[in-house]
Amino acid sequence: MPEIKHKAFLFDATRCIDCRACMVACSVENKIPMNKTRIWVAGIGLKGEFPNLERDTMVYHCMHCNEPDCLSACPVGAYSKRADGPVLYDSKKCIGCRYCMNACPFGVPHFDWDNGLVDGAFIDKCTLCTQRIDIGLEPACVATCPSGALMFGEREDLLSYAHDRLAAQPARYVNHVYGETENGGASYFILSHVPFKDLGLPELPSSPVKDVSEKIMRFTLPSAVGLGVVLTGLAAGVHVINQKKAAAKMVEAAGSPTEEEK
Amino acid sequence: MPSSLSRRDFLKVGSAALGAMVLGEFIPPAVAQAARANGLLDATGSGYVPGMCEMCVWRCGLLARVADGHVVKLEGNPEHPHSNGKLCPRGQSGLLTTYDPDRLLTPLIRVGKRGQGLFRKASWEEALDLVAQKMLDIKQKYGPEAMIFSSTHNLSQVQFENLLNAFGSPNYGTQRSLCFNAMIVANLVTYGMEEPARKYEDLKYIILTGRNLMEAISTSETSALSQALDRGVKVVYLDPRFTKTAAKATEWLAIRPGTDLAFHLALINVLITEGLYNRLHVLNNTSGFDRLAASIGQYTPDWASGITGIPAETIQRIGREFASAGPYALAHNGWRTSNFINSFQTERAIAILNALVGNWGVAMFPSAGEESGTLGAPPQPPYPRISAQRLDGVPWKYPFVPLKIGVFQELREAALSGTPYQAHGWFIARQNPAMSLPDRGRTLEAFGKMDFITTVDILMNDTAWFSDVVLPEASYLERYDPLNIVGDKAFLRQPVIEAQGQARSALWIYKELGTRLGLGEYFQYRDEEDYLNQQLAPLGVSLVQVRQQGYVKLPGERVEFPEAAWNTPSSKIELYSSTLEQGGFSALPQWEEPPTPPAGQFYLLTGKVAQSTQFGSQNNRLLHKYSDEPRLWMNVRAAKNLGLSSNDKVEVASTAGKIHIKLDATQAIRPDCVYLTPGYGHLSKGLTTAYGVGASDSDLHLTFTDPISGGQALSQTFVTVKKI
Repeated sequence: MPEIKHKAFLFDATRCIDCRACMVACSVENKIPMNKTRIWVAGIGLKGEFPNLERDTMVYHCMHCNEPDCLSACPVGAYSKRADGPVLYDSKKCIGCRYCMNACPFGVPHFDWDNGLVDGAFIDKCTLCTQRIDIGLEPACVATCPSGALMFGEREDLLSYAHDRLAAQPARYVNHVYGETENGGASYFILSHVPFKDLGLPELPSSPVKDVSEKIMRFTLPSAVGLGVVLTGLAAGVHVINQKKAAAKMVEAAGSPTEEEK
Repeated sequence: MPSSLSRRDFLKVGSAALGAMVLGEFIPPAVAQAARANGLLDATGSGYVPGMCEMCVWRCGLLARVADGHVVKLEGNPEHPHSNGKLCPRGQSGLLTTYDPDRLLTPLIRVGKRGQGLFRKASWEEALDLVAQKMLDIKQKYGPEAMIFSSTHNLSQVQFENLLNAFGSPNYGTQRSLCFNAMIVANLVTYGMEEPARKYEDLKYIILTGRNLMEAISTSETSALSQALDRGVKVVYLDPRFTKTAAKATEWLAIRPGTDLAFHLALINVLITEGLYNRLHVLNNTSGFDRLAASIGQYTPDWASGITGIPAETIQRIGREFASAGPYALAHNGWRTSNFINSFQTERAIAILNALVGNWGVAMFPSAGEESGTLGAPPQPPYPRISAQRLDGVPWKYPFVPLKIGVFQELREAALSGTPYQAHGWFIARQNPAMSLPDRGRTLEAFGKMDFITTVDILMNDTAWFSDVVLPEASYLERYDPLNIVGDKAFLRQPVIEAQGQARSALWIYKELGTRLGLGEYFQYRDEEDYLNQQLAPLGVSLVQVRQQGYVKLPGERVEFPEAAWNTPSSKIELYSSTLEQGGFSALPQWEEPPTPPAGQFYLLTGKVAQSTQFGSQNNRLLHKYSDEPRLWMNVRAAKNLGLSSNDKVEVASTAGKIHIKLDATQAIRPDCVYLTPGYGHLSKGLTTAYGVGASDSDLHLTFTDPISGGQALSQTFVTVKKI
């Protein structure tokens, strides 16, 4: 595979302290609503029995794949891959069909039932902070990470840095840079001391899932558009019902934060 | 017609209205105007303004991104050594503390009963006049000592102290006895300084005794520990809980609560009996080694094993490893060391262990401190002489406790008992004793003994809720504070945005109140900027210059770590403390058996999480969003024995009180302990996000004071837990 020159993240799971500064920084930088987040934690938890314990943390967001499945699954071209790495989503084009959600092997795109139809923003996901990297800043999550678990840089530099680490400390890490080849390669690399599946990451072949899906998509595109229209109608109905439910819930729980808000 | 306006009048009114509109729309507010003049904001009012974080007491430098007159993002200032460009989750969420919808925007005067939460809005004139009148009444009737002043850890504290000293009251409450008295006093008697500085760069071995740096984040020190771990430095971590620091440490020892002293005595035993200590350093720089050596023989690893629950071989191995890593080895003295009465002797043992490996000048250094010697200050007349005893027993009952630190829980006890005399008023700034002091019931009772209570804060905190007058302070993004010296620079906290509502800076509030108390001569500064310009005068620098950079470099060669100067009677590191001996206490650390929970009860542990600071951050909606729900940790086995499982609602009871809370049955704690994150269980309904969340350990904590350091023993409270 020819080396791709663009930006990428590196996350070292051995260094993350689960402080959540990245989550807060992302929320502020990208003005994320209080009931949502673009970064979340998967595979977190305690393993073992007292006093033989282990706790692993995984900062999880868009992998910014080289050949994004969301992009190839999208029937209306709402996704794009920028030359310098970020996988971006255009809410103006989105019709709310949710194909991207099913296509993404990492479960990244999340559908927003409440705001989707109103604002047209169905999906919310990491943008690699293009507004920051375009002016030479690091993404908000990386810039603030106090433990040095998150890094940002040129994809090839980060890859060679990651491999240097693996070579220098073979006992510390699983001997693999996750994201280097997974799903055709991504721009979010992960180093870990535990098997990647323990961090909630799927085991994927090096060829992207989209190779398969694109074959199917070629035939299904026209019908997908039709289906999108049907789904939109359905969603509108569900949305009205949900709003009524939410309003009832708000009256009930006036003043006290709901689980969702937490 | 008398009621109608002539055309001429109409024109006048019209142009006045137009004038007001023009003023409102086109003249930018003072803060933005000044920032623009400094080149920090562009024509649209956007840019970065340097400031200083106040989400905890570490004081990281920050860069506030401002857009259109609003703070939209906070970044760590790369030029500040406490942040190095990073901010922790609390720092990152700071703008929602400033933009908290519950912010106090005007002075408030109580109209209902105390604790009922009924207040009316008042002007500053009225509120300050009332506070001054009440304070003068108390002074006249009972003497100045009948006023208690309490405040903790903020940059305007120097002017708070000015106010209380000028008023003439000896009764000064800080929260330090609930936090680090044991550590400070142990370092004072051993090293002659409150807390030596630490450097991680060259370390090979670190012992952390409950110092949960990965959750109690001090940005630069947390980063330094993380980097040390990354380099392969061995980190041994002692804690009855599997915290996030335990998860990252090389070795976690789930030590029995209250036995850290036994562990460290045994390490000292290994170093001395096996001859592994740094002989040259001990000979040249310490005093009392022979007497220490003669007393330590009994404290073998075998002996400590039975007490701590840690195998003797492990203790012996760690002693040897620590010694062989010396002098690049550090036994961290911790910070909040208010656990057991024996925590003071634990801190002494830690101080001695460091001296034995000779890590002075390698891992530990004299602290450069925050002395503002090179800065100017407004002129001041001498303070009135104070003859009244302090209510907290310093120094007449607690001779080792520095006056500036005090014994807060004993101050509360004296306010309750009326001995040696009755206090009648309490002036509280940026502090929340209703949450922080042990045994909340007694704190509320002490409030009841007061004729008058005033609280200064940015929010209606739980103490403000019980106050008669509440004064709204500007937040750390809205005000100036006195300069803060770190290393070779003096850093500035400056307003990034206009103060919201009527909120004003502490510097302004204390001056205005002081003037009304007839103490104006003690507050010889026109306003905040004049205060800072007087500080900067000897440097020949103007505030305008400092505002731009956020700091000013101090003149002369300021070494990061000045020469060793142990301010002890022997001018050496005192392994054997003659000072303690003269005070009638053990001059060498000796084993003191801590109390243990009776059958069916648990140690109640406290600690920190990375998403909250003490008692003041829980109303921040971003932190609320990313915090775990506060639940009572209990070991799964212990829970099973009680027929409990996760999310059961339980009643936790001590002899002080009881709380209701959800259970978290977890592997991450010893079976003889339960743990509760502090800072929840707020009483103030003026905290609309935090109110109703979790429960407060202050309802359970009993008051125990260490006779030497004055430290509160928070972990000596034992509780029962049952399902409800």
